[in-house]
Amino acid sequence: MLLETKSICKYFGGLKAVDDVDFRLEQGRLKSIIGPNGAGKTTFFNLVSGLYAPTHGSILFKDKDISNMSINDRSQLGITKTYQLTHIFPRLTVFENVRLAAQSRHTIFNFWRRAYSLSEVNDKALAVLEHLGLLKVQSRIAAELSHGEKKYLEIGIALATEPEVLLLDEPTAGMSPAETIEATHIISRLAKELSLNIILIEHDMSVVMEISDEIMVLHEGRKLAEGTPNEISANEIVQNVYLGKGASRDA
Amino acid sequence: MHKSNGSNKSMINRQGDWRTRFEFRAMIVAFIFAPFLPFIISKPLATEIIVYGLFALGFNLLLGHTGIISFGHAAYLGVGAYSAAMIVFYGEVGVWLALLAATIGGLLVAIMIGILAIKRKGAYFAMISLAIGQMFFFLTLSPLTRWTGGEDGLKLPPLSIDFPLYVNLSNQLHLYFFILTIGCLATLAQWRILNSPFGHVLRAIRENEDRIRACGYNVSRVKFLSLIFSGLFSGLAGGLLVVYLGAASINLLFWMTSGVIVMKTVLGGTHTFFGPVIGAGVFLFLRSTISEYTDRWELWLGALFMVLILLFREGIWGSLLNLIEKRFYHSKL
Repeated sequence: MLLETKSICKYFGGLKAVDDVDFRLEQGRLKSIIGPNGAGKTTFFNLVSGLYAPTHGSILFKDKDISNMSINDRSQLGITKTYQLTHIFPRLTVFENVRLAAQSRHTIFNFWRRAYSLSEVNDKALAVLEHLGLLKVQSRIAAELSHGEKKYLEIGIALATEPEVLLLDEPTAGMSPAETIEATHIISRLAKELSLNIILIEHDMSVVMEISDEIMVLHEGRKLAEGTPNEISANEIVQNVYLGKGASRDA
Repeated sequence: MHKSNGSNKSMINRQGDWRTRFEFRAMIVAFIFAPFLPFIISKPLATEIIVYGLFALGFNLLLGHTGIISFGHAAYLGVGAYSAAMIVFYGEVGVWLALLAATIGGLLVAIMIGILAIKRKGAYFAMISLAIGQMFFFLTLSPLTRWTGGEDGLKLPPLSIDFPLYVNLSNQLHLYFFILTIGCLATLAQWRILNSPFGHVLRAIRENEDRIRACGYNVSRVKFLSLIFSGLFSGLAGGLLVVYLGAASINLLFWMTSGVIVMKTVLGGTHTFFGPVIGAGVFLFLRSTISEYTDRWELWLGALFMVLILLFREGIWGSLLNLIEKRFYHSKL
């Protein structure tokens, strides 16, 4: 098993944001997490990526307990997430945004060398920019990008750290339908080409149904159902709680 | 056109972006013209500008590049100065060892503040550094009077250097060139540090600390090192100040010193490399000019500072760079 959570919980005071969730991600899979607002999806991501420590339960990566590992150590291990609200380096160039992430896999305690002379890092950053169609804007200041481009840059920063497990938090939020389709294709292509293992949070049901291998449904912090896209769309409980209302609105 | 990067996809110049390359050239031009400075303005003023320029550069490593607000930088300068003065006064050693002692003094303060406060952010770090700065001031002023000379400071005999060549530091011009040489070397060293892989992470911390941590960097360690470098440069500046003044004075440790270095740095432009030197230069020049006409120079300098900051939002050098970049660089794209 690549990544596994065992009865993981996160309480904020009396609020059970994530409550007793067992989750398993196998090698080579793309698994989506869906659920209404406030279901605990982002909290679950923050537990896996290391932003929060779990109240109870444990997280295993390749059978090793990483529950108390810091976010930077988990990134070095190969687990990284993108942010729902874009979280970039606004006054640096697009290239530098991605280059910094790529550089994190090298030692930085070399004070005499020029950062831009690390060819390996440069090439890695350029490759990521090419994958995401951001080569044209590489020398622009990140803050000047369009919303869609920022979303891609967000993914680019995560990709440049060469993750094994990539957690994508609503990568298509705020995108137009056309952009969403394009982003969907890019994500599923990346998953295959870079043999990434992806966990995806997404509101757009058409995206989820198209690219997921498996889906987990969260509701009020608890796991409601789990299965293939077909099983989930056939599940009555899920339809009642979520899909019935959600699908018609998102369609 | 840009140099090729061994890859036709890249529009990246290995020397850095436009601003970086422009600032590097500007710095070289400044180095070429600096030897003429003591013939334009007074020799002591020119010397003071170099020393405080270096101090401001060290300070801006934290403020402008890493985004850490320190209100206790007098501690690095002052402890550096007293380390140098005391080792000369009691140990009767030469200037080189004194400068080494000053640098180590700055380093030790940085380690101390780093251990106590580096995990604190924003105002919390600023207040802790201010408190520690004041602690050094009062320690030097009274409990340690026997060694530090308290309010009178420590006055040193005339200094000279024998190695690698003889320099009589009582000669104002020789003194200037000695301090200029050290200042230029230290500036170049800091330039290299800021353009290294490490230096780039500093800027990323300033831009988005949480994100760069999530990229896998140990942010606390990088910040700690940034503080160490700032302490080294500031301590060295303190040592140079002792060589220039021929004494260590308690004023160097006073909190006003910490406040004035913020003003100088902001005046020049925090988001630039060379801005702090420009800021220190303009500030010291204005102060010496105004104080020739009136005793209330602080009032006029304060008013001028406000006008300059309103006029140049990014500091004098920062706003100038923005203007030049817009006019001459973006118009070509």
